[in-house]
Amino acid sequence: MSQENTTEDLYPLALLMDELKHDDVANRVNAVQKLDTIALALGSERTRTELIPFLQEVAQDDEDEVFAVLAEQLGHFVPLIGGYEHADILIPVLQVLAGTEEPIVRDKAVDSLNEIASQLSLEQIKSNFYPLIEELATAEWFSSRVSSTGLFQSIIVKVEDDLRHLLLSLYSKLVQDDGPMVKRAAATHLPKIIDLLTENPEKSNQNDWDLISSMFANLTNDKQDSVKFLSVDVFIAILSFFNSKNDKSHHQDLLNTALKLITDSSWRVRYMAADRFEQIALSFKDDQNQVNELIEPFLLLLKDNEGEVRKAIAKQLPGFCKLINKDIILEKILPQIEILSNDQSEIVRSALASQITGVTPLLEKDIVIEHLLPIFLTMLKDEYPEVKLNIISKLKVVNDVIGIELLTQSLLPAISELAKDKQWRVRLAIIEYIPLLAEQLGVSFFDEELGDLVLSWLWDSVYSIREAAVNNLEKLAEIFGSKWADDEIISRVLKSDSSTLNNFVYRLTSLFTLTRLVPSVDKPIVVNKILPFIEDLAVDQVPNIRFNVAKSYTTIAEALFHKDDKESIEFIDERILPIVETLKTDKDADVKYFASQSYDKIVALKAT
Amino acid sequence: MELDPDVPMEDAIEDQSLEEDEQQHLSDDQVFYNNQQQPSIPKQGPLPDLSSSNINQLDEWIEHLGKCQPLSEDNVRNLCKMAIDVLTFEENVQPVNVPVTICGDVHGQFHDLMELFKIGGPCPDTNYLFMGDYVDRGYYSVETVSYLVCMKVRYPNRITILRGNHESRQITQVYGFYDECLRKYGSATVWKLFTDLFDYFPITALVDNKIFCLHGGLSPMIETIDQVRELDRIQEVPHEGPMCDLLWSDPDDRGGWGISPRGAGFTFGQDISEQFNHTNGLSLIARAHQLVMEGYSWSHQESVVTIFSAPNYCYRCGNQAAIMEVDEQHNRQFLQYDPSVRPGEPTVTRKTPDYFL
Repeated sequence: MSQENTTEDLYPLALLMDELKHDDVANRVNAVQKLDTIALALGSERTRTELIPFLQEVAQDDEDEVFAVLAEQLGHFVPLIGGYEHADILIPVLQVLAGTEEPIVRDKAVDSLNEIASQLSLEQIKSNFYPLIEELATAEWFSSRVSSTGLFQSIIVKVEDDLRHLLLSLYSKLVQDDGPMVKRAAATHLPKIIDLLTENPEKSNQNDWDLISSMFANLTNDKQDSVKFLSVDVFIAILSFFNSKNDKSHHQDLLNTALKLITDSSWRVRYMAADRFEQIALSFKDDQNQVNELIEPFLLLLKDNEGEVRKAIAKQLPGFCKLINKDIILEKILPQIEILSNDQSEIVRSALASQITGVTPLLEKDIVIEHLLPIFLTMLKDEYPEVKLNIISKLKVVNDVIGIELLTQSLLPAISELAKDKQWRVRLAIIEYIPLLAEQLGVSFFDEELGDLVLSWLWDSVYSIREAAVNNLEKLAEIFGSKWADDEIISRVLKSDSSTLNNFVYRLTSLFTLTRLVPSVDKPIVVNKILPFIEDLAVDQVPNIRFNVAKSYTTIAEALFHKDDKESIEFIDERILPIVETLKTDKDADVKYFASQSYDKIVALKAT
Repeated sequence: MELDPDVPMEDAIEDQSLEEDEQQHLSDDQVFYNNQQQPSIPKQGPLPDLSSSNINQLDEWIEHLGKCQPLSEDNVRNLCKMAIDVLTFEENVQPVNVPVTICGDVHGQFHDLMELFKIGGPCPDTNYLFMGDYVDRGYYSVETVSYLVCMKVRYPNRITILRGNHESRQITQVYGFYDECLRKYGSATVWKLFTDLFDYFPITALVDNKIFCLHGGLSPMIETIDQVRELDRIQEVPHEGPMCDLLWSDPDDRGGWGISPRGAGFTFGQDISEQFNHTNGLSLIARAHQLVMEGYSWSHQESVVTIFSAPNYCYRCGNQAAIMEVDEQHNRQFLQYDPSVRPGEPTVTRKTPDYFL
């Protein structure tokens, strides 16, 4: 090999080494991000023999930013080093990275190791990956031990019985580690491991489950609540294993443990139990007596003195109520709901409001009317807008149970009030609910009760409300038809007095409204009523109006045009195009632009 | 006027560092000062129309930025080039027609800027006049200023963007825009492009010859609006003098001119405002620059109004924001609004949690 050739061959690696010595960490990060390109240039063999040993050094002497990228890159390296049979040479570098103090680096290293493990043979797992886990799990420094807890899941169901038992024994030590960080990490990853054993029932035996059950016992008895509260998820995973095996022999014991967690003295543990209550209860659903034992604890959580706990349990109401008898809901739960609807904390009321409507389908109509409807009405008057919004957005569910008429009777006063709410998002929610009401109320009742209201929103000071009002009228016109749109909207908008129309916002909103109605009303209304109004606005002094007129003409032409109807084409040529053409020569650039857009569209339409 | 004492205090620090920064910059050479000869007199005549390929490009950028995604560095370079072409046509006192909606500080609170358009209506349907301070403090200065500049280039007649005291090389290095550019682009190039562009922003606007709009306030060296027209604005914001004052001054309850606690600009009393309005035939001075809890605040018996459009300023001040709509008959309407609601993100409650009390 000539001298020149060697230099050229070394070039990628030399370049990388240079870049990695750069003073600026951003440059070094950039260099590491290009590792795959360098590995490609080097070829798999030299990547193994030169690049990886070099990276081993890098992994011990740089900044966390560089490590994080390096750890991530190595996860995609298996093809670059010549396939999985060489994969184990990546392990030592990642092992170093998995032991760093920075959690971001560790997590990336663990992800990459799991990625690599998925491609290893059983032989490689035994000879390389298990020793890695063992070393990390027994390392002196806690960061390695934390990392080790994330690696078990990638091999636990791949290995044979004896090795699996070794792994679980090792894990059990981590669950009882001296460091709370390690215990927390172990508790966090345990549910995943249990789930894997559940999915692969032939991959575990009684010995394994004895170990898991003792780990669970350790966690539930931990002195630190930050460890203990993680046992709730472990609990759910264990239950789902037994349920999958249809083994109910441990359910009573487990239920007793659940009851202990739910009444724990630490609110964090109670919060976790409350947050997962439906899942817990579902695990016992085959035995109604066991579900019923959860009723009292449920009520206790609803009365908890910590707001976060009440918030979490309020969200579980529909889920849990589905599992219990209607009489119990009526006797025990409903009184608590009523108290909760007046809770001092707005986050609790808001959580309740978002879920409470889900209880209505579970109850008889007269019970909903007697007990729940008053609660909804109270919550619609809540001082906190989110509470109101959460109720309004779910009213359809209530509607299905008690019927629109009754709902409307009780709601109309609330709606009229909320229609003027000072929070515009509350007004918006009400507007969006209107088409649903309209469909079920019928024209005459609607006009009488809500006719004025739906028009009044057009003149709201907030643009988004005006926009929603226009959308709403468009939908109403589709529901009630052309004649209604003419009588109730178009005629009334056109009747606006001239002082109102002095304000450009009113003119613009009127223009938007009439334009949007064009597709849903009969042609004579477009020609005789809407078009003259728009023609007046074509010479408006405000350019914003003129360019919106130009846009409106496209909509009108589309509605009137019919390719077999010569009259319609003549009409467009005579009444529409000349005005659009005039607007094309307007002095304002935006009017010119939108007019020529409109012109081109109308001409293209005629050519179809 | 209700003021948060905290924020002007912070602003006051800004300018203690002015002197120091200056030293540093001079040694840091041309990065901070354009050596090229800039046209110091704005171009006259009508603005040439945009080509249709430029329009498509801008519409694409506006859509992209609307999702709060920053433009690429190359696109920012093109945008700034196009923006300079537009802004050189603008005057130091840019004339603006009614109807128009006048807005105050935004400070990189991109989502609240989107909320502003939900309240006031989208541009170009609504005409806007922004009175500076688009960058710094908020987390999305890059997206905010890119969006507004895009709008300006796309609809030059529909939106006016004035210069605030934060549209400067020095202030942006202390209050976040510089760091944000570095973080989002990996280099200071985008920061340089924008701060070079800021030099071209008009410094004041005159709405229908009646409402004088600017970021800060009046200057003892400016008696008539014509004197503003004579300034050479295309430069970094100076440390003193009329251009500095217009971007830094504040109205005050005390009469006459006073020393500003900010260390730049002056405070001016009701007598000064009334005299200025009388001399120039104005009905109102509209300005921004100060946090006001209701989003707007009158001073000097309604001869000056302060408008502030960053709700819950710095994500912690708990203030409302406002914009002022001026219609064709010069009727004014203030619209107040709260921070935007972003589903899926933890909301910062305006109330201090119990355990802090």
